[in-house]
Amino acid sequence: MYEPKIIGFLCNWCSYRGADTAGMARMKYPPNVKIIRVPCSGRISPELVLRTFREGADGVMVLGCHIGDCHYSTGNHRTAKRMPVLKKLLEYSGIESERLYINWVSAAEGEKFATVIKDFTEQISALPPFVETMK
Amino acid sequence: MSDRLSSLRETIEKILPDVDGVIALRTGPGGIVAPYLFSKEHPGELAELALWPKEPVPDTLKIILRAHPDAKLAIVCRGCEERGIVEMFKHAQFSLENVTLIGLQCDQQEVESCQCFKPFTVHAKLTVGQPVEGVRDPLMAKVMAMSQPEKLAFWKEEFSHCIKCYGCRNICPQCFCNICALEDEKWVETGRLPMPNPSMYHMVRAMHMTAKCVGCHECEETCPADIPMAVQFRLIARDVKEMFNYEPGAVMDQKPPQLLVLEEGEYENTGLPH
Amino acid sequence: MIEYKNVLTTCPYCGTGCALHLQVLDEKLVGVLPAKNHVVSEGGLCIKGWNAHAFVNHADRLTKPLVRRNGKLEEATWDEALTLVAQKLGEVKTQSGPDSVAILTSAKCTNEENYLLQKFARAVIGTNNIDHCARL
Repeated sequence: MYEPKIIGFLCNWCSYRGADTAGMARMKYPPNVKIIRVPCSGRISPELVLRTFREGADGVMVLGCHIGDCHYSTGNHRTAKRMPVLKKLLEYSGIESERLYINWVSAAEGEKFATVIKDFTEQISALPPFVETMK
Repeated sequence: MSDRLSSLRETIEKILPDVDGVIALRTGPGGIVAPYLFSKEHPGELAELALWPKEPVPDTLKIILRAHPDAKLAIVCRGCEERGIVEMFKHAQFSLENVTLIGLQCDQQEVESCQCFKPFTVHAKLTVGQPVEGVRDPLMAKVMAMSQPEKLAFWKEEFSHCIKCYGCRNICPQCFCNICALEDEKWVETGRLPMPNPSMYHMVRAMHMTAKCVGCHECEETCPADIPMAVQFRLIARDVKEMFNYEPGAVMDQKPPQLLVLEEGEYENTGLPH
Repeated sequence: MIEYKNVLTTCPYCGTGCALHLQVLDEKLVGVLPAKNHVVSEGGLCIKGWNAHAFVNHADRLTKPLVRRNGKLEEATWDEALTLVAQKLGEVKTQSGPDSVAILTSAKCTNEENYLLQKFARAVIGTNNIDHCARL
C-alpha cells in the first residue's frame, strides 16, 4: 500500500473557507491532499493540472464555488467548461480520468469537504502510482 | 485538364478583375505546388493553377490581410479550409468583409486520402465541383476500442517518435497566438527527446485545439514522424459537440464556447457533480 | 498591388535536403511552408527548417563586416575587411607555416562554396586543415 500524493487546488472564496470550516469543526480526513489556494478555480488551466501530474501527483482535485456563487460571477464557468474536456483528454490519452476530480464546495460545507477528500483519497489509493504507469 | 480545374479557372477568371487578388494553388518548378496570389496584372499565370495537394491557405489569407487589412481578396478553399477561415474570423484574426470565398468541393479520391468527415463548403457563395459525402475516420474507432492501458501504450509509442519540430503548431490554421504556451519552459521543457510521459506538448496542444480544430489534417500531414495526433482533437470535438453543441466552422455567427459563460442546460451535459 | 508568392528552395541547415517554400509578401520574407509533394521531405520539416527564414531579417544579423580597431568593433567596407584578412593570413603563413592555419566551413554553404573553401585551403594556403561543422 502506497500513500498517494494528491494536490488540491482550492478557490479562495468558497472551498478554502470550506476547508477552514472542516478544520475548525475538527473533522477528520486523510492528510494526503496538499492544498494550494488559488484566487478562483477558473485560474486552474489545463497546463497546471498536467504539470502537476508530470511532477508526480497521483491525483489532482479542483474545488470551486457552486455555479452561480462565484466571487467573480462567472469564473467557475470556465472551470465547468474546461475541466470536463481535460478529463476526456486524459481518458483518450490512456490516463485514468478519475485522477482528476472536480467538485463545488462552499464555505459552509465543511462536512462535504471532509467527505470529498476522504472519497477521493480512497479512489486514488486504488489506482497504481501515477509515475509507475508513465514508465 | 480536369473538369474541376477548368471550371475553377473560369470562376477565378470571372472574379479576378473585381478583386486585388485570388489566393489559390499554383504549380511551381518541378511540379511542386504552393499557395499563390493570382492578380489581374498577370492573368496568364492561371495556366499554372493547381488543385492538389491541399495547402494551409487560411494562413496565407491571414498573412496577406495582416499586411493589407483593406485588401479585397478572393480565396479558393476546400471544406476544411473554409472552416479554418471561419474559425480564424471568429477569433478576430481578420475581417471577412472584403473576402470572397470560392468553395472547392473535394472529390471522392481526395476524401479517401484525407479521411475527411465534411469535405464540402457551406458558407461559400461561389462553388466549384459537386459535393460528396464525408467518411468516418477508422482511427477514431480504433482508439476508442482500446482499453485504457492500450491507449496509454499506443500514445507513448506514437509520441516517442516526436522530434519536437513544432510543425503541427506552425502549420495549424488555428494556432495563431502571439505568445505560445508550447514555447514556455514552464509547460514544455527544452532539451529532452524523446519527451517524458505524459507528453505535455501534445496534451497542452490537444487542450488548446478544443472547439477550434477544424479537422483539416494539416498537422498529421506535415508531421515528419507521422503521429496521428488529430485523432485526439477529433475525439474531443465530438465531446464538445455533445456538451456545448458547438462545431468549429459550421455556423458563422455562433460564438465558440470558450468565449462564453455557461448557458442554460449546458452544465447538465458536462458530467460534473451537482 | 499586393504580391504574395512561395519560392521553392532547399533547407540550408543540413545535408538531408528537405524542400521548403519561402513565403514572400511584397518582396519581404515572412515565413516558411513545407513543400508537400516534394520527394525528399514529403511535406515535413524539422524545427530548423521551420525557422529557416528567421535569421534573414533578424536585427542581430551582421550585414556589414566589422573590424576591431583599438579594441572596438567598427563597421568597415568589404574591401577593407577582406584585405585585412588576406594580409593577416599571409603573415601567419609566412611566419609559422601553412599548417598553422585551419579552416572550418559550414553546412549552410552550398556544395560549390564548400568546394571552393577546400580548394582555398589546399591550393592557396597549402594546408589540409579543413573541416566542417556538420561532420558527425
